[in-house]
Amino acid sequence: MLFAALAAMSLIACGKIESETPVVPQESDYQGTVTVIYEGAPFDNENIEVNFTPAEDGKTATITIYQIRFVPRMPVTVDVTIPNVELQSTTEKVLLSCERTIPLAMGGEFPRYTVTNLQGEIVNNELNFSLNFGDSPTSFKGEVKRAAAN
Amino acid sequence: MLTTFFISLLTAASPVCDTLLQAATVTALKESVSVERLPSPVTVLREAELQSSNTYRHNRLSGQVPGLYIPEYGASLTSTIYMRGLGSRMENPVMGLYLDGIPVLDKNAYDFDWEGIRNATVLRGPQGTLYGRNAMGGVLALQSLSPADGMRRSFHLEYGSANTLRAGGIYTLGHHVLSAQYRHGDGFFLNEYKGSNCDPYDGLSLHWKWEQGLSERLFLGNTFWASLSREGGFAYGPWKDGVQHPVSYNDEGSYGRISVVDGVYARLRAERFTADAAASLQFLADDMHMDQDYTADNVFTLQQRQLSGAGTLEVRISRADTEAAWQPKTGFFALYKLNHLVAPVTFKRDGIERLILNNANKNIPADIGYLTIPDEQFPVHSDFLIGTWNAALFHESVLTVGNWQFTAGLRLDYEGARMDFDCLAQLHYRFVPTMKADKPFSVPYRGHQNHGRLELLPKFAALYQANASLTLYTTVAKGYRAGGFNTQIFSDILQNMTMNAMMKDLGVYLDRPNVSVSAEHTEYDPETAWNFELGARLRRTDFRAELSAYYIAVSKQQLTVFPPGLSTGRMMTNAGRSRSIGAEAELDWTPGDFRAHVSWAWCDSRFVRYDDGNHDYAGRFVPYVPRHTLYLSAGYSFHWGTRRIDLDLAARGAGSFYWNEENTLREPFRLRPDARVALVFPKWELYVRAENLTGTPGHSFYFKSVGNEFFADVKPRTILTGISIKL
Repeated sequence: MLFAALAAMSLIACGKIESETPVVPQESDYQGTVTVIYEGAPFDNENIEVNFTPAEDGKTATITIYQIRFVPRMPVTVDVTIPNVELQSTTEKVLLSCERTIPLAMGGEFPRYTVTNLQGEIVNNELNFSLNFGDSPTSFKGEVKRAAAN
Repeated sequence: MLTTFFISLLTAASPVCDTLLQAATVTALKESVSVERLPSPVTVLREAELQSSNTYRHNRLSGQVPGLYIPEYGASLTSTIYMRGLGSRMENPVMGLYLDGIPVLDKNAYDFDWEGIRNATVLRGPQGTLYGRNAMGGVLALQSLSPADGMRRSFHLEYGSANTLRAGGIYTLGHHVLSAQYRHGDGFFLNEYKGSNCDPYDGLSLHWKWEQGLSERLFLGNTFWASLSREGGFAYGPWKDGVQHPVSYNDEGSYGRISVVDGVYARLRAERFTADAAASLQFLADDMHMDQDYTADNVFTLQQRQLSGAGTLEVRISRADTEAAWQPKTGFFALYKLNHLVAPVTFKRDGIERLILNNANKNIPADIGYLTIPDEQFPVHSDFLIGTWNAALFHESVLTVGNWQFTAGLRLDYEGARMDFDCLAQLHYRFVPTMKADKPFSVPYRGHQNHGRLELLPKFAALYQANASLTLYTTVAKGYRAGGFNTQIFSDILQNMTMNAMMKDLGVYLDRPNVSVSAEHTEYDPETAWNFELGARLRRTDFRAELSAYYIAVSKQQLTVFPPGLSTGRMMTNAGRSRSIGAEAELDWTPGDFRAHVSWAWCDSRFVRYDDGNHDYAGRFVPYVPRHTLYLSAGYSFHWGTRRIDLDLAARGAGSFYWNEENTLREPFRLRPDARVALVFPKWELYVRAENLTGTPGHSFYFKSVGNEFFADVKPRTILTGISIKL
């Protein structure tokens, strides 16, 4: 009886320690849909790849969105990198936020599409975030494609 | 060559043994029978005819040989040869050139000034069984003067229009014949941008021949040909809205070439067989500069430097008894050629703007930014090493039964090639406004391609000697033109690769990226043709005639095409199937001091199947191929004593033909008269001659470059006067 009580206590104790460990952000490639609100209407970019690369200290990350189109009739797609995304890990998810940052595109900083009000999260294998690219409200929802190569 | 040179020096001091020379006449032809017994049409121009028709280059054979058309344009590397609906302006020729029986492997060396030529023989129709590759339209065999032709020491000098100066001579010494010719011309076509003629020419041809019978059984010879030239060229004027504009381009247009062919040949007469062997070494170095947009703008230029070496070997065994009814001939041929080709294309400022930046920026919304390239020049380096090898076994038997002569032959011919390419495009670029500085960028493109093909080239012929003067014949034969690699399209490939790679480097992706062929698609296949021929040959004392009709079915016809849009290259493609139906006639009438000659050909050459993905050209005429060639000449010699006056008039024409696959641009048939008046004394001769006496205009070439159209004009009237002296 005493043994059973000790075993139960140890299990409770172990569970308590596990649930208090924050999620460690991992570099990953995601695939999903980017939705841009263009002239008041949503415009979907499907099968878009997004790379999430945390800094070594795990406090910030860089998000790169590949081959996105901001306007439906745009004859080109572009790669856009969002630096300085702040991370906050909880035991269940990684929260993403960024008040304002200048993205990198076409070889350098691209202030025309300054990112504001970025909010998002990584839960399990899913990445969701929303932001404004300049005046264009944009969001992404996708799942891990594969673990990025080291 | 050195070995034979020393042998020849050792024997030079010995008296010429006429019997040995006479006993061993090695002709440029490989056939077992005489020209008169050949079951295919043949044109022979002897020394006197070459002289009276002023034929001292291959393009002067145009029209004189029915169905043969060699337009004069570009520079002396051009040598575009059309024969019976076959031919294209690039790469391998449809007519093989043989100098004293030695095949000239590089078409860039075909065009040189002839001196000391005893006769020029053109066999028409596929001659693949005995001659192999690139003889599907026929063979031009030049036979130079031999020591056996007797003592020849002569000199000639000619001067005329455009400061054209031509001087040459022949000198026989023992077993040696030496000949040389120099030609200079200021050119005929003004480049308005530069204010000077774009086509000046300086060229020197040298020939040395040594022949000697070393014994009753062994005959040895060496033939050495060299030509050097430094010239301008590329007299191409833009064609806009149906109007031809003058030549006007700003960059260099020039060509320089050194070409050497040295062949050693031997004939061994054994009791039962005769063995002929011929080996050659060939060398060609040339350097071409071309303003490839042919405008006064700084768009792009091409330099093409070639350094090639080649060796050939052929051994033929035939029956010693040449009177026997059955004449078999069996042989082996091999060649190896290595060509180092460097062909950098340089895009200049206007070219960078128009061909690269405009193309890229038109797809980028202006409010995002724009691409710039600060360089004044954007070089695309292309370096090719192309090895070509060929080996063939052949047999031909000629059987004479009564008045009939039957010929059957087969050649097993393998040709392989490997191209190693090393290309590099280098530039700096910047995307405004995101990039703060120019970024160096380069795109390398390296690799290799191989191809190899086995061809079976059969021949069947029957000849019937109806009577002493009339011969009828029919022939079925297959010929082929070797395949190869499209090196000229690599600048297009690199240009597109660079633009797409640069955009990718920027993280920008065009919805419709520029596409071009890749290296794997630069190979083109051999062209093959089956030729069905009927002919009649009439020989009387003062009248000779030859009539022939043919049907040629061509597979994988090689055509030079211009990729659509603002492309900068051109490429050879295999255009499905075509067929040619034609008839040819040659008449020679020489009663007494009068002489008349007619050469005429009609050719209907059309695509049977050719769909380039955008257009179906089935039923259209094959471009650049004249429907008719015509050469008319008449002459009379007025004698008094040992002197005479020769008066010769001729007219030469080719056409009509279409310049494009769509058959929308047509060149009409035009005759251009030539004339020659000579005052002939036993030891010397004075003459005046004219080409295109009426100055009849016309075009000799059409092409497109970066979407623009260009024509080359035919040469204007040329008048020259000269003197020939026999020493």
